[in-house]
Amino acid sequence: MASSYMLPYAQQAPPSYAHPTEASQPRQHHWSPYTENGGVILGIAGKDYVILAGDTRSSEGYNINTRTARKVFSVGSGLILGVVGMSADGEELARKVTRKIDDYKRNHDKHITVSAAAVMLSRILYQKRFFPYYCQPLLGGLDENGVGAIYTYDYVGSFEREQSRAFGSAAALITPFLDNQINLKNQFVPGSNGEQPKQAGDLPRATVEKIVKDAFTSAVERQIEVGDGLQLVTITRAPPRTEEEADDDDWTGAAISVELSPLKKD
Amino acid sequence: MNQFPHGWGRPRDDVYGAYDASYLNSTEPVTHTQRPIVTGTSVLGVKFKDGVIIAADNIASYGSLARYDNVERLLQVGTHTVIGAGGDISDMQYLHLLLDNLLIREQYPADDHHLYAPQVHTYLSRVLYQRRNKFDPLWNSILTAGADPKTSEPFLSYVDLRGTTFSAPALATGFGAHLAVPILRRYVPDDAAAEALTQEDAEKLVEECMKVLWYRDARSGVTYSWAVIKKDGVETGNKKIENQSWKFAEMIKGYGAQNI
Amino acid sequence: MFIARSEYDRGINTFSPEGRLFQVEYSLEAIKLGSTAIGVATGYGVVIGVEKRVTSPLLEASSVEKIVEIDRHLGCAMSGLQADARSMIEHARVEAQNHRFHYGEPLRVESTTQAICDLALRFGEGADGEESIMSRPFGVALLIAGCDEDGPQLYHAEPSGTFYRYDAKAIGSGSEGAQAELQNEYHSSLTLPEAESLVLKTLKQVMEEKLDSKNVQLASVTKEKGFRIYSDDEMQEVVSRLN
Repeated sequence: MASSYMLPYAQQAPPSYAHPTEASQPRQHHWSPYTENGGVILGIAGKDYVILAGDTRSSEGYNINTRTARKVFSVGSGLILGVVGMSADGEELARKVTRKIDDYKRNHDKHITVSAAAVMLSRILYQKRFFPYYCQPLLGGLDENGVGAIYTYDYVGSFEREQSRAFGSAAALITPFLDNQINLKNQFVPGSNGEQPKQAGDLPRATVEKIVKDAFTSAVERQIEVGDGLQLVTITRAPPRTEEEADDDDWTGAAISVELSPLKKD
Repeated sequence: MNQFPHGWGRPRDDVYGAYDASYLNSTEPVTHTQRPIVTGTSVLGVKFKDGVIIAADNIASYGSLARYDNVERLLQVGTHTVIGAGGDISDMQYLHLLLDNLLIREQYPADDHHLYAPQVHTYLSRVLYQRRNKFDPLWNSILTAGADPKTSEPFLSYVDLRGTTFSAPALATGFGAHLAVPILRRYVPDDAAAEALTQEDAEKLVEECMKVLWYRDARSGVTYSWAVIKKDGVETGNKKIENQSWKFAEMIKGYGAQNI
Repeated sequence: MFIARSEYDRGINTFSPEGRLFQVEYSLEAIKLGSTAIGVATGYGVVIGVEKRVTSPLLEASSVEKIVEIDRHLGCAMSGLQADARSMIEHARVEAQNHRFHYGEPLRVESTTQAICDLALRFGEGADGEESIMSRPFGVALLIAGCDEDGPQLYHAEPSGTFYRYDAKAIGSGSEGAQAELQNEYHSSLTLPEAESLVLKTLKQVMEEKLDSKNVQLASVTKEKGFRIYSDDEMQEVVSRLN
């Protein structure tokens, strides 16, 4: 409505003598079902391995909830899922994926492939298109050829297979670092006078592990929601089956290992 | 005379007007909890060497009014679990009802399945998360404390109205998250520190934190309930905050009727 | 004998004192009235064939449809009440497409068969939570042929809901004779053309009419080409090879 001083007196609303606590109009309190728990996850796929790492801080506003929260989950059949955003939604998503991967194994008598799981996760996210899971997932696993695969998603299920990706509150800090260190962007062959760009290739696991740790220690310095600890989950090819494992239905060809190391707590 | 029996004994339309049935088909939208009404404040929990201690005061506020001063916000669930709830008291009482029913439903003496703290916490987290998914939250933040009767492994976890869960050696809800957690973390920064903490020290630590909350949280109370859960069960009690010193308040300027 | 049974024929989900479900057993009999259908699995692909029973010279032979596609990699031959097969195949097609939608990959042959058999016992009053969709058991048996990562496979699904994988299987009126013939002639190193000939040769032996390229139909499922119904020319070629 136009400001009241522009109206003739007769058109002005009569003064209200109602008690201030009396609800003359319904008071709108907006409650949001969403919250943001911070943190960052990072996934890198190599030619025979996958690394998915996350910090272990869980926060809400300026409060640190805990310093020991996990963001990367083993979801069965040799696959791992990293989630960042709202932890309640993320953990629910991880539970749902775990259950559906188990269902798949029972229904089809085989382990789900990472590409099939990738489509499945996309559908799970899209099913909640109008009340989305508030988390960004990274799905990791070895594909049918034993090559590392990282699938990245948005909140409602758009997905893509990528070589490396950072999600979460320090994604903007880590992404350019990955561009430079993994994809060798803006790096040139020495002596080429900035003419010949370096070609990105397969990086050994040890090198990538170092890059991951550096990415996190740097992110901790500049992002208050990142810190406390690093959970680094690696999938490598399992050694060839032994005779006892020949009939083992749980054998997936993938070996998952988890490493926990400290990050700065301030 | 009205020949239709359904009209007998009813107010006559020509005298009283037609019956106004509009209230029967209300067009009001379904409403959900938009805010808590009667509320409890912080709950504290600390793990120690062979158990866990949890405490919550007995005040239930109505806005800024300390409406009730004898409210029990801790509830023993089964043999080795105590939950403490902050937030809306009626929602807390509804959760108590759910847990009582759950306990009865799951009570099979010989099946060797027990509802211990991890189970209770997971159940609560599912209930709260499902309610937030319906946009009809139960307005609470809850600590679940317990100990494993075989290993005496302490358990302490948090869940709130959005289904957010986490666990730490020391936790606090509400104002306690701001005022008590920094103090608690000084003594129990990690699990190793909790394993080194004696029960006596844990009790003192909680007492100290409850006192700080009493000084600084205007919705807190001077009496509180506590519970210690160890391998052999639950021990509970009530305490009043003693040895108060309000000297620090003399330094505070800017509120009240003082001359600056 | 049939009079003694009748008491347990009424409730179709009622066991007889001997532990039998008569309506299900009768449905198996219905298949024995159906036209013969044969499937042979080889390492190169699966061949399925049916007799068309062209009962009148006025009947348009191409309208007899006893082999159908379920998905690109799945085919199916039927014997018995064809109308019943329609709903089973519809279900299988939906399941196969659903799987593609949810997992971006083709449905496995065994899972397809399982999906079809899940329907089989949903007759009668319906169990708790599961809606009953039929008043009686299906009157049709299916031979499901397909290729997946485990190679070419052939499954047989019955109205009782049981299914088995076969190297070679015959169903329908001529099944007894045909199965014996398949047992004699089958070996694991059959080529696809050999399997085509075996299917037709076996059909020929059990058919009442004289076999020609119009009253039988063949289809194959291979890794390369998926499911394919043989064209008239191809049928002629295989039939001529037989003689």
